Amino acid sequence: MSDRKTTDFGYEQVAVEEKAGRVADVFHSVAARYDVMNDLMSGGVHRLWKRFTIELAGVRAGQKVLDIAGGTGDLSYAFARRVGDDGLVVLADINESMLNVGRDRLTDRGVAGNLQYAQADAQYLPFPDNTFDCITIAFGLRNVTDKDLALASMLRVLKPGGRLLVLEFSKPNNPLLEKAYDAYSFKLLPFMGKVVANDADSYRYLAESIRMHPDQETLKAMMDNAGFVNTEYHNMTGGVVALHKGIKP
Amino acid sequence: MIDKKLLSLLVCPVSKAPLEYDADKQELVCRASGLVYPVRDGIPVMLESEARQLTLEEREQLDRQ
Repeated sequence: MSDRKTTDFGYEQVAVEEKAGRVADVFHSVAARYDVMNDLMSGGVHRLWKRFTIELAGVRAGQKVLDIAGGTGDLSYAFARRVGDDGLVVLADINESMLNVGRDRLTDRGVAGNLQYAQADAQYLPFPDNTFDCITIAFGLRNVTDKDLALASMLRVLKPGGRLLVLEFSKPNNPLLEKAYDAYSFKLLPFMGKVVANDADSYRYLAESIRMHPDQETLKAMMDNAGFVNTEYHNMTGGVVALHKGIKP
Repeated sequence: MIDKKLLSLLVCPVSKAPLEYDADKQELVCRASGLVYPVRDGIPVMLESEARQLTLEEREQLDRQ
């Protein structure tokens, strides 16, 4: 069938309706070891990337925050402490396994009441228009099938003046770094995935999906097209990761 | 049980209409789209792919209320 719409799943082309299921399998597979692997793969630097995201989010007491693809809850935990009893944080993830790991972990850390959980698709958010002061999506947009649809959906549920922060792997801005990074992610990463999580395929998908993700300027243009204003991005670790920010007018 | 604060925020991802909570069945019902979303382990599953359709009888019952 030549007219069948396809999309990228890492370097593979799959039918559009197939991608979500394939991504789900990856995250069911890695959920239990997700935190350990993040620390190992990034040498702990993912904590700095997230800390910068939390700073730039500027969340204040009483605000409503949506943490999409919130996974194991690093950002939600920080936001829940900041919004206080009058605020609310919703940790949303499309993946049941990640959501369960996140809830167990945050309950263990003593967060309750102002942190709620919902299984939701970033492309079809189950919230009314103009609901949230801030939306974050950290290492999640890459896995969404239709990123334009997701950006439009996030814009819809943001309040006017509300901000979106997208933390995602991006394109290193130095050719030497890019070479080292390629060697790291296509050789070492699947190897670590195999040894630590017994799952080389999932970590190969990770490396491939990062290369397929739009670079800094492309993602910024996508946010502009979706209707965000004052869009900007900050490179971290030489552009290995970028934090994009946009405001709903 | 689903939290009241969260419940007041949720809408149907398809119709964007408000939902009714059925505490006995642990489901969220959207009259507009006729979709019923499960609440699993206290977490609402707001995915169209996981929702079921309202049955004719359920629809009639809702209309009478």
